[in-house]
Amino acid sequence: MRIALLAPLLLAACVSSDVSRDVGARCDLNSDCDGRCLGPSGDFPGGFCTLDCDSDTDCPNNAHCISDNGGVCVFACGSDSDCTFLGAYTCQASDSQGAGARVNVCRGG
Amino acid sequence: MSRRLSIFIVLASASAFADPPPAATTATAAAPADMSDQAIGASIGLALGGRVTPGGVRFEGHYLYQLSDHDWFDGTAAFTFGGDSPECFFDRQDNYVCDHGVAQGDSFEAIATVRHFLGGQGQYWPFLHGGIGLGYVRYAADGVGGLVIPLHAGGGIRVSITPDLAIVGQAELELGIGFFSHSVGTEPQLGANLTAGVEFRL
Repeated sequence: MRIALLAPLLLAACVSSDVSRDVGARCDLNSDCDGRCLGPSGDFPGGFCTLDCDSDTDCPNNAHCISDNGGVCVFACGSDSDCTFLGAYTCQASDSQGAGARVNVCRGG
Repeated sequence: MSRRLSIFIVLASASAFADPPPAATTATAAAPADMSDQAIGASIGLALGGRVTPGGVRFEGHYLYQLSDHDWFDGTAAFTFGGDSPECFFDRQDNYVCDHGVAQGDSFEAIATVRHFLGGQGQYWPFLHGGIGLGYVRYAADGVGGLVIPLHAGGGIRVSITPDLAIVGQAELELGIGFFSHSVGTEPQLGANLTAGVEFRL
């Protein structure tokens, strides 16, 4: 029970410490990232560094591969509070790339 | 004849049980006998850094000058050459953060330390050293540079090979502060250096 209560906090703590040039850094240009930059937009406020992917296995452990932009990695979440470290991002269902399912990920809008 | 023999035996016995002659007074050496008042040295090794502390291959040049029986000033010029790839980014709070690996970045540093010899044995002389440096660090791929002021503390061993030549190995930790460009700002310095080299008396 305690673990279940702590899980969202642990997830948030884990995710927030994993912002990097791979996934999660703020960006304007691809050169701000190791992979590609999803420029500032309603879906990705402030810009979002990400990696191209075909499935979740191409993404870090705490991220899903969604079908936007041809397949990109974004942070997984369980609730909106898991996304607060990204600023104006909320936890939303999106199409998974390659798996034909819906997954919860942090994104704007 | 027997009287002479008796006297010989008595003298011999007395001599055998007499106190040994007092040993010559020997002063405990404070430093290697071949350590002159001035020396120069060169060493190579590894620097381990991370974040905004540079790491990689480390080259050092030393000038030693005797301060006291146990202590030598060690003026060091150190160069570190590490890998170069962009590792800085804007976090979600718009802070520019750098997360370089243990062997990335380049630096030059001038260091003033004091080497204090501990009790040695034969040609092996361990020592402690500590001091402060002033250097410049650069991460070219990120366009980030900074002035750093690290404290150095460590130890090593000096092994005399010939009267003019010694081998020195040492390990040290460095802890300090750096002032970086590109809005990275003030960041701590934390690293370790392992080097080995030669030393020549002047």
